[in-house]
Amino acid sequence: MAMRRQLAAWTALIALTLGACGGGASGAGDGGSPPAPPPPPPPISDAEAWRFLNQATFGATPAAADEFKRLGAAAWIDAQMALPASLQLPFLQALPAPQFPFERQADRLDAWFRNAVNGEDQLRQRVAFALSEIFVVSQQGALVSYPYGLASYYDMLAGHAFGNYRELLEDVTLHPAMGIYLSMLGNEKPDPALNIRPDENYARELMQLFSIGLVELNADGSVRLGADDQPIPTYDQATIEAYAHVYTGWHFAGAPSFELAFPNAFNQTIPMQLYPDYHDTGEKRLLSGVVLPAGQTGEQDLAGALDSLFFHPNVGPFVAIRLIQRLTASNPSPGYVSRVAAVFDDNGAGVRGDLGAVVRAILLDPEARPAAPGATDGKLKEPLLRLTQLWRAYDARSASGRRSLRAAGVFFGGAPPAAPPVFNFSGPFYAPPGEIRDGSLVAPEMQIATEYQNTLVTNYFLYQAFGLNSASDALAEDDVYIDIDDEVEVAADTDALIDMVAAKLTGGELSATLRAEIETMLALLPADDPVLRAAETIYFIASSPEFAYQR
Amino acid sequence: MLKAAAAFAATPGAAFAQSAGFVAPFSDYRALVCVFLFGGNDSWNMLVPAGGAEYNAYAASRQNLAVDAATLLPINPLTPDGASYGLHPSMPGVQSLFEDDGAAAFVANVGPLLRPTSKAEVLAGAANLPPQLFSHNDQQDQWHSLKGVGTSRTGWAGRVADLIRGGVAEQRMATNVSLFGATLFQSADETTAYVMGPSGPVAFEGFGSEGILLEQRRAFERVIAANYNSVYERAFAAVQRRAVAAADEVGAALEAAPALATAFPVSLLGQQLETVARLIAVRDELAMQRQVFFVAAGGFDSHDNQNEDQPGLLGGVSEAIRAFYDATVELGVAEQVTAFTQSDFARTLTSNGDGTDHAWGGVQLVVGGAVRGREIYGSYPVLEIDGDVDVGGGRMIPGIAADQYAATLARWFGVDDADLDLVAPNLANFAIRDLGFLA
Repeated sequence: MAMRRQLAAWTALIALTLGACGGGASGAGDGGSPPAPPPPPPPISDAEAWRFLNQATFGATPAAADEFKRLGAAAWIDAQMALPASLQLPFLQALPAPQFPFERQADRLDAWFRNAVNGEDQLRQRVAFALSEIFVVSQQGALVSYPYGLASYYDMLAGHAFGNYRELLEDVTLHPAMGIYLSMLGNEKPDPALNIRPDENYARELMQLFSIGLVELNADGSVRLGADDQPIPTYDQATIEAYAHVYTGWHFAGAPSFELAFPNAFNQTIPMQLYPDYHDTGEKRLLSGVVLPAGQTGEQDLAGALDSLFFHPNVGPFVAIRLIQRLTASNPSPGYVSRVAAVFDDNGAGVRGDLGAVVRAILLDPEARPAAPGATDGKLKEPLLRLTQLWRAYDARSASGRRSLRAAGVFFGGAPPAAPPVFNFSGPFYAPPGEIRDGSLVAPEMQIATEYQNTLVTNYFLYQAFGLNSASDALAEDDVYIDIDDEVEVAADTDALIDMVAAKLTGGELSATLRAEIETMLALLPADDPVLRAAETIYFIASSPEFAYQR
Repeated sequence: MLKAAAAFAATPGAAFAQSAGFVAPFSDYRALVCVFLFGGNDSWNMLVPAGGAEYNAYAASRQNLAVDAATLLPINPLTPDGASYGLHPSMPGVQSLFEDDGAAAFVANVGPLLRPTSKAEVLAGAANLPPQLFSHNDQQDQWHSLKGVGTSRTGWAGRVADLIRGGVAEQRMATNVSLFGATLFQSADETTAYVMGPSGPVAFEGFGSEGILLEQRRAFERVIAANYNSVYERAFAAVQRRAVAAADEVGAALEAAPALATAFPVSLLGQQLETVARLIAVRDELAMQRQVFFVAAGGFDSHDNQNEDQPGLLGGVSEAIRAFYDATVELGVAEQVTAFTQSDFARTLTSNGDGTDHAWGGVQLVVGGAVRGREIYGSYPVLEIDGDVDVGGGRMIPGIAADQYAATLARWFGVDDADLDLVAPNLANFAIRDLGFLA
């Protein structure tokens, strides 16, 4: 039954998007007005609009800020959540079959950038990106040969961005991309004569990384301590082995048998199928005293196992911390975590795991919108988010139409989704040496902000500003360039130029130092070389610490 | 003794402040090169019993994942333990380092431990164990930091760099250099590791030494030197400052380095180790006397397709380390450079059909001219399921602590015996402070 529900959801998702392919209702909010409009909220400042949009989208822009100020936060979220998902798989499927599957990874990246930079469903795409950094799969490794599977996996995350966590868990578990990545696909029941026992990979990581974590948490996300003053492990090796027995018998769908289940372009995009002969039917003793009786089907076992995780009290704070860190703050207070976790536990209508309500709670929490951000509020933007923000602000495009930044893996520390083995590039508890670590704070994005990576990203912004712009006559057809025509027009006027770039990249805010240094440089550049002046200004702002910081 | 470790955990800064002042300037050069095998290397298929009852036990446990005895590359340790051993057939490079050069040794059954323990203790839940055994990132952190149950946020190489900093005051680059990203291993209180790319530092394009490009650099430097409100901006700007400062000097030194005659394999690990060799070649230009390099290879988490993937994984390590040793000979520094492996954990003896799962103790490899080579240090266990040191499924209790392994390396590197407990906080709980594999 779980399987049928699963398939139905999947099909509905695909149908929804196919139908929505061409349209894209722009400017959500000019739909029909409600009969009795509430009194207008107090006006929203530019700074507030920019902060909110940098938290909730792939980068604030002046146009997006105008729309946000008109709608207000709550209505903006409503409008965004109503938009259908921009998908990757239909884009890939419209292209001819490649000679070698891995060749389509560049096109998958193209689709990712199109949706991230230009998708109307910005909130959904940003949350899908966050989910992809929690429910990690990677194109590095075996999945390099499964571009359709990866695209379909990402689409699945986008489809569930405002859905229910329990259904997300099930679709993640049964997706063949995850099945390949964490080796549940092909996992079979024990064969004691050959010392073969079920693969523990997915059983372990589903608990550690996707649902409850290693140690018991309080509702505010803090670690519970036992009588010995030490953290209390949530599970032990025996628990892992019990769950490993649950996840047996699944393989690519539609094959004549388990042994003959080979991948093709289609079965990597639909949920795995149970092959009952390979499922362990013994009793399984799970977390929280849940016991799955012997003789159940694989679907029954799976439902019981996922329920046992879904109802574990850790899930609320576990999910709250991770989503808050991806969207708004590296170091949420216990109060912030517990408010969001409470919404996870109950959305107000008695429903547990409502991700739409969780996202809303994260974005509308007072802690996400302090009047004046303190030293530890906010977070660092990961390099890709700085790039997408620049591209959104400068209407980036290429002659061929492709947005396939093939160098993303080098310059930006990984094309999405592409993480080092299993653990995402930045663990939620990474603390760089120095005042952050010494203050018992964390900064996950600092893990990839190394001397090496920062230099590459800085250099990329240099190439983008000076070379890959609309004034260049040396662009290759796939080069993604930024449109600096407006800047070129005003470039002779230093103040006007700086104001214009700042308006597009920071909502107009610039530190005195940054403005002064740009002025210094512009004074040295020839007044009659507007392209150089425009590029210099964009480079200095895009590569600055303040542009790397999300308030 | 345990108390001393606890006190250290509480006030690491004070302990270091007392200790670091006493280091005299070094008169020689030494380097440690950590080769981290991410994912958990299945080292029971790297160094394998080659015959007799020991091979039979191994083959019975490993079943379809056992390496065929006939294909093992034989090795002959100078001090036999009664069993015969061979290497995975993909590792002729390490075989020759062991047999011909006498520059390679194995440390058998080493892993994270807080104190010696037994199967009975572990199964009874009585043992004082490192938390979250068998979990990737926790056991990586354990190897990196040797932190035990505490919350130390420094790594053992970071603490080594702090302890010896009085002896390397003239160095123009950080003692700790990573070619594989930021790592807890090199995190420290007083010193800062430097992260470069697999081919070395990348220069900032657009900065020059004269004219407008110099002005551009100066303006950029003033932006990243400014005061910022947010801790995140400050942390980001600090990295930028280090990057700008190091890129020129280190990059220029590296560019001036003569080409190596030694050929390295075309792989990410080969590329990193070649860069390390080139950095060692320019040690005098940068006034380096003590260096810890971090390089790594990934993909060792062989939950599936193990038989297909293992030859490439182990062969890649063997070839790259062989080339690296040759390069140190070429540079005349073989006796001053020691490379060693670390990995999350070894893997289960039992199979999950076509792969293995996370386990505990395993075998590590040490290579260099200072290594008392052609030996297996420690006791290689009988690889039987439910044997004396198997806590279940073929997860072997280490006989040697990662602390002992690290302390042996740190002592050779120049850390005073009295300070080794600061490097390896659990060392005091073990009788042997030096495993003897370094001269």
